[in-house]
Amino acid sequence: MSISSPTATWDTIQNVFYRKEEVYTMSWNVHDLSEYIVAVGKNGGPIAMIRDDRLPLPSSRHSGKPKITLYTSSGLPISSPISWDLNTPILMHLTTSSLVVLSDQGIYRIYDLSNIANYKQYTLGDEVRESGVLDAKAYEDGMVILTRRLEFVEVRGWRGGRGVPLVGAGLTEPPTSWTLLPPDISPTGHIQLLLSTNSTILTLDTLEKIDQRISRAPFSHIRISPNGRFLALLNPNTGILWVVSSDFGRNLSEVNIAEFGEGLPERVEWCGDNAVTLGYGNGKVVLVGPRGESLSWDYPPSAYILGEIDGVRIISSGTCEFVQKVPDCTLAVFSPGSSHPAAILYDALDHFERKSPKADESIRSIRPDLANAVDTCVDAAGREIEVTWQRRLLKAAQFGRAFMDLYNPSDFVTMAQTLKVLNAVRYYEIGIPITYEQYIASSPSTLIVHLVSRNLHLLALRISQHLGLRPDPVLSHWASAKIIRSSQKGVDPSDRGLGDDESVCRAIVEKFEKEGEKGVSYAEIARKAWENGRARLATMLLDHEPRAAEQVPLLLQMKEEKIALEKAVDSGDTDLVYQVLLHLRSTLSPGDFFHILDDSISPKLKPAVNLLQVYARQADRDLLRDFYYQDDRRTESGCLEMEEAGQQEYAEERLEHLKRAAKSFGESKERLFESKMVDDAHRLLTLQQTYERELDHKFSFSGLSVNQFIHKLLLEGFTKRAERVRADWKVPDKRFWWIKLKALAERKDWEGLEGFAKFKKSPIGYEPFVTHLLSLTPPQPTHAASFVPRCDPRLRADLYVQCGDWGKAAESAKERNDRGKLDELRRRAPNGIAQREVDEVIRRVGK
Amino acid sequence: MASSASPLPGPSRLNQPPPAPSTSGDSESTVPQPPAEKGLDVNILKELAKSALVESLNDIQGAKTLILEPALAGPLGLVTEVALLKHQAVDKMFWLEPGPLNVNTRNVVWLCRPKIEYMRTIAEQIKAQQTNPSPAGPLMYTILLVPRATELCRRVLEDQGVAGDVTISEFKLELIPMEDDLLSLEMDDVARDVFLNGDDTPIYYSSLALMTFQRAFGLFPRILGKGDGAKKLADLLQRHHNTDPAQYGDIETSSQVDGLIILDRSVDWITPMLTQLTYEGMLDEFVGIKNSHIEVDSTLLDSNTAPAPSPSALPSTPVTKKRKHHLSSQKDKLYSELRDQNFAVVGSRLSKVARRLEGDYGGVKNLKSVSQMKEFVGKLGGLQSEQQSLRLHTGLTEQLMPITKLDTFNRTLEAQQNLVAGYDPTSQLNTIEDLMNQELDWQTILRTIVLMSLTNGGIKPKLLEAFKRDFLQVYGYQHLPLLINLENLGLLIRSGSGTISAAQNQSITFLRKNLRLIVDDINDLNPNDISYVYSGYAPISLRLVQCLTMKNHLSSSSSSTTQEGQNGNGFATREKPKAHPLNGWKGFEDILSVLPGDNVDVRQHGEKRDNPLVIPDDNKLTTTVVFFLGGCTYTEISALRWMSKQFKGRRFLIATTGIINGNTLIESLGDRPPVQLKQST
Repeated sequence: MSISSPTATWDTIQNVFYRKEEVYTMSWNVHDLSEYIVAVGKNGGPIAMIRDDRLPLPSSRHSGKPKITLYTSSGLPISSPISWDLNTPILMHLTTSSLVVLSDQGIYRIYDLSNIANYKQYTLGDEVRESGVLDAKAYEDGMVILTRRLEFVEVRGWRGGRGVPLVGAGLTEPPTSWTLLPPDISPTGHIQLLLSTNSTILTLDTLEKIDQRISRAPFSHIRISPNGRFLALLNPNTGILWVVSSDFGRNLSEVNIAEFGEGLPERVEWCGDNAVTLGYGNGKVVLVGPRGESLSWDYPPSAYILGEIDGVRIISSGTCEFVQKVPDCTLAVFSPGSSHPAAILYDALDHFERKSPKADESIRSIRPDLANAVDTCVDAAGREIEVTWQRRLLKAAQFGRAFMDLYNPSDFVTMAQTLKVLNAVRYYEIGIPITYEQYIASSPSTLIVHLVSRNLHLLALRISQHLGLRPDPVLSHWASAKIIRSSQKGVDPSDRGLGDDESVCRAIVEKFEKEGEKGVSYAEIARKAWENGRARLATMLLDHEPRAAEQVPLLLQMKEEKIALEKAVDSGDTDLVYQVLLHLRSTLSPGDFFHILDDSISPKLKPAVNLLQVYARQADRDLLRDFYYQDDRRTESGCLEMEEAGQQEYAEERLEHLKRAAKSFGESKERLFESKMVDDAHRLLTLQQTYERELDHKFSFSGLSVNQFIHKLLLEGFTKRAERVRADWKVPDKRFWWIKLKALAERKDWEGLEGFAKFKKSPIGYEPFVTHLLSLTPPQPTHAASFVPRCDPRLRADLYVQCGDWGKAAESAKERNDRGKLDELRRRAPNGIAQREVDEVIRRVGK
Repeated sequence: MASSASPLPGPSRLNQPPPAPSTSGDSESTVPQPPAEKGLDVNILKELAKSALVESLNDIQGAKTLILEPALAGPLGLVTEVALLKHQAVDKMFWLEPGPLNVNTRNVVWLCRPKIEYMRTIAEQIKAQQTNPSPAGPLMYTILLVPRATELCRRVLEDQGVAGDVTISEFKLELIPMEDDLLSLEMDDVARDVFLNGDDTPIYYSSLALMTFQRAFGLFPRILGKGDGAKKLADLLQRHHNTDPAQYGDIETSSQVDGLIILDRSVDWITPMLTQLTYEGMLDEFVGIKNSHIEVDSTLLDSNTAPAPSPSALPSTPVTKKRKHHLSSQKDKLYSELRDQNFAVVGSRLSKVARRLEGDYGGVKNLKSVSQMKEFVGKLGGLQSEQQSLRLHTGLTEQLMPITKLDTFNRTLEAQQNLVAGYDPTSQLNTIEDLMNQELDWQTILRTIVLMSLTNGGIKPKLLEAFKRDFLQVYGYQHLPLLINLENLGLLIRSGSGTISAAQNQSITFLRKNLRLIVDDINDLNPNDISYVYSGYAPISLRLVQCLTMKNHLSSSSSSTTQEGQNGNGFATREKPKAHPLNGWKGFEDILSVLPGDNVDVRQHGEKRDNPLVIPDDNKLTTTVVFFLGGCTYTEISALRWMSKQFKGRRFLIATTGIINGNTLIESLGDRPPVQLKQST
């Protein structure tokens, strides 16, 4: 390519500069793209094509079932052709790392680009298969299918997830065209469809259908611009290309395209966000500006156009070209007659190299804008494909820098670094014509994924290191690829150095260690080995995996249950342990299951045994019972029965569980006391039931504790029965007195209380009589006071005070000749009667 | 108190009942509050949680019905407001409970912890919905699991046959900032799960939460701890760091945090068994604080006082409505002043504030000029809110006061304090029996007997059996498994029965002396030691933290610290001592050896390996995170706050799995209460 001037490729549409650059001369042997169904990956991605067998065979060149072939953008084949045994694909779509092909029966296959022989096949379910697929559109993370029943189904992610139907569009005939708005540009943040019927445009998503009431319909093409703000719509009847804001609120341009070519274009693509490109069947490509001015090129017999975020890629049998609006920074430097500081700086470098004094003069003239000039040159360098111009621009920037006191070189360094990467991947053998804008927008790590999917591991690794990215995705992919290659048929596994387990494992581990990488998932690689029938290699690799969460699923798959369980326990992640336990429970016989868990054999598994109990307690009581039984855990069995007893609503059943609990406890020497207690509980409930029956179920006692039982019996006046319970349970005197005191007080049975107090000497003293009666609501000071004389003489005065009887308080102080107490009472007595009463006593003392 | 006549020289201080709050504020000396030094800004964690929730909800397209686990409502309310959820197209909210759904949105979203019973309820609801489809068309089901989606739940849903119909995703609600210096996972019953059931799930969740914390604030340069659970947690932290470089590889060593101290509840069961004596602790014990919220009479909250007596209402029992109130130091300055005080001084503080307010309001009479008037009006808003919080706290204090005057309360307290002091255990057992005869609540009885077992190396077999028999008779046989669980945990054991009891016995005697657990001369007003939170007992848990961070304070005899305290009025003139760097356990090996469980002491390094040790200095504030695995009490929080104030250069940030008290702890160790029996027909 001769390099005369950077502007040699420029052209204008109504004073706006566009440039068309030839990126590659195609190395392939494809003559007419129109014979193929073509898919092209975004951001300089590869080209997939399959001969369209619906077309009449033009020549004898083609025979047999068509195959899918993959090429780089420079036309080099990427892999051997893929046979396609289903009907003609409805959709071929390239994501960064895979190729998706959909047949009209609703079957789709996802090919891993790095290992094309390996694909996953999914179906869209019976309904879709029966109706058949009419059309489909895809984006990076999913696709939407239009069935022959005119229903739209969304498939999210490429993992074979279930299709989600969108809201019914109510169509009676297929839309004249439709387009898919991916989540990143749709206004809702979820996918959205725009579809044109004969009368209007509908917006459709999973929730609602909106009629946009566009009377200009129908449209044969609907395209949304890369930034999601504009729509290009082509009406086939009027030939009007209409550009409108994506909310249909602002009319931007209307162009009649009749003059550009015969018939309608086959493809309509945006060229960045600025212009629309039309691709005709005969290889004519027209770039249309807003006012209808245009540029056109011919690529006979045919060309394929693909819109990128910053331009449009034109692929023809001979070349791969890229058309874009000239970026502002480039314009600033190179546009004819530019007086931008960057242009002056660029010229100054020229003068400098020719040792012309004008250099200094120029620099002087832009001194205040030097930083801007330098930055613009750096930016412009990024937008050039030609290395010559990149260098020249960076040099100009460097030259300008020299005249600045302060300059942060990081932009410059980053750009130089980035260009090194971009030039490397653009090299025709690699064939990724990614632009700076695309690279920034799609992120460096996406580029790495792209390279890895092409099995360009070394390049990917070097670029990762160059950019300071983590190398583990590359290494991990490399290792998987190595295993797959070494496991392919035709390679003798015993062939040393190529395929045997030890050397493969060693090679992989050595490589990882050399690159100093800890983050690689050995488990992922081990899984690849396992999937390729290399169980031994898988085990060896798995040993290097530090993360249990990664190891365990594969170990289970490999039927290494016990190791899996141990690893899960080691990890401390209880969910992982559950995962293994539940897996074992569903795959092993109960005997084997318990055997693995027997902690006398494997004490390390104690935590797993604990978790099993926690789980079974909530979800599988029978399992728990069996486990306790076979493991001789009598105490646990007993407790379990006790708990269940408590949850029974009927006494008979509760008694049954209590019986079993007593039995379980009884079987352990250590638990005789507990067994006895449960017996007592059983006896208590039985007695409560008996009394209820005897009293014609007028009272309910069941479930009460011994204390509550006695209390209730006393409260209801069944003193004899209360005495019997007291005797049977050997309730100590003190406790019984408390119960009776409270029950009688609650009955307000003051006589009974009096009798009870007199019956014999209270083992709890009489203060409780006083304090308890005072604590009732409402308090009973009068009755309380009647017990004060029985209390300790030293306390009586205070107790009377609590009862509110200041006179008696003073009296009792007097009886004890406690002058101090009397004085205190006098001080504390509230005004009025109380004080007079105290005074009265004091007067008597004084006498 | 009859026991003061005892011939044995009991610890003087401990036998006193806690002084009832005096209402005279005269004796109080004013301690000028030093300007608050700011520690870490933990609100970022709140923002993280909030945005995680918003994102999770936004990922679900369209109007949603949100079904919330009741126990999550509290924690959720601490990070976001329900009103905010409306912006995420949440149409209606229901509690997660068995029964059919009533939904008229396209989406149903459940938000709950990953528990099996919830999965079953959800599965039932989905199945019911599917047999009886809603007119609005097929529903989209999503379960947001907190804090993470588990395989276990997925399996349960699979077994129920609905796994294909639901999307399972997660909402990472981890450490919630309750206060500037307090983070909590707000998980219930962690001690039961970990120490009784051996279910380490909470430890794993704690590790994930602490990893998130480290991602926000940097790697803990040092991790110290005590207890088997603490060891597991520390191991997990290192494991995450070492084996998951993709997530945690780039975390650098923190420059703001000097370390993490993990305390595992099983190291110190004694502390939670004691009745808390700080204001906040008392509120939790006797009123109940849940997720920083307390239920109070609505009359205490309404600004217009004196509820107008409605003519029809009966005069006797005015129906007082309960309302939930958020206890927050940010909204309520008075509360931040009171919460950490010993309850004994709360009354006087309140009356002081009351008098000041009166003065401020009274000032209105003396206003001379318009500008004075303007100034006064400007203050009014503040005065009103102050008055409102004064009313609230006076009301709450009035609620607590009668409790502190109860004979049973004081006898319990006396027994507890005698037990920790090792004073005459037999007579304490008699007290317990006595209180049981009076049918004091069973939780308090068990707390006290557990305290006896712990401080005494168990209880003589005969006495223990007698106690258990009585206990079961008084409170019901359903408590039998609880007693067995307490035995399994070593909380209620026979003495002389085995190594545990002997070890416990030795250890408590040793600790009493070497950790100075009992402090006689406590100044409630200007505390000179953390033991003020229990009126004379210093929590073992915090003495351990002091070993690491206040070494000198701990080893110095009590007299020197008292002096410092007595010079309370000269406090302002005294420079606070500088905090020393975070020590290891060196020098405290003998103490560690008598406590159960592993010791933890590890250093962590970031990728860069430059390890600038964080050394507290004059200009720089370092934060030490204290994590309680298995929950902590409000008293422990108060004590750590007190410790933060003692030195320049170090703040404690308290993190915990949840806030507990002895009652909630003991209750969690038993079975569900029995159901009501039905009359069989």
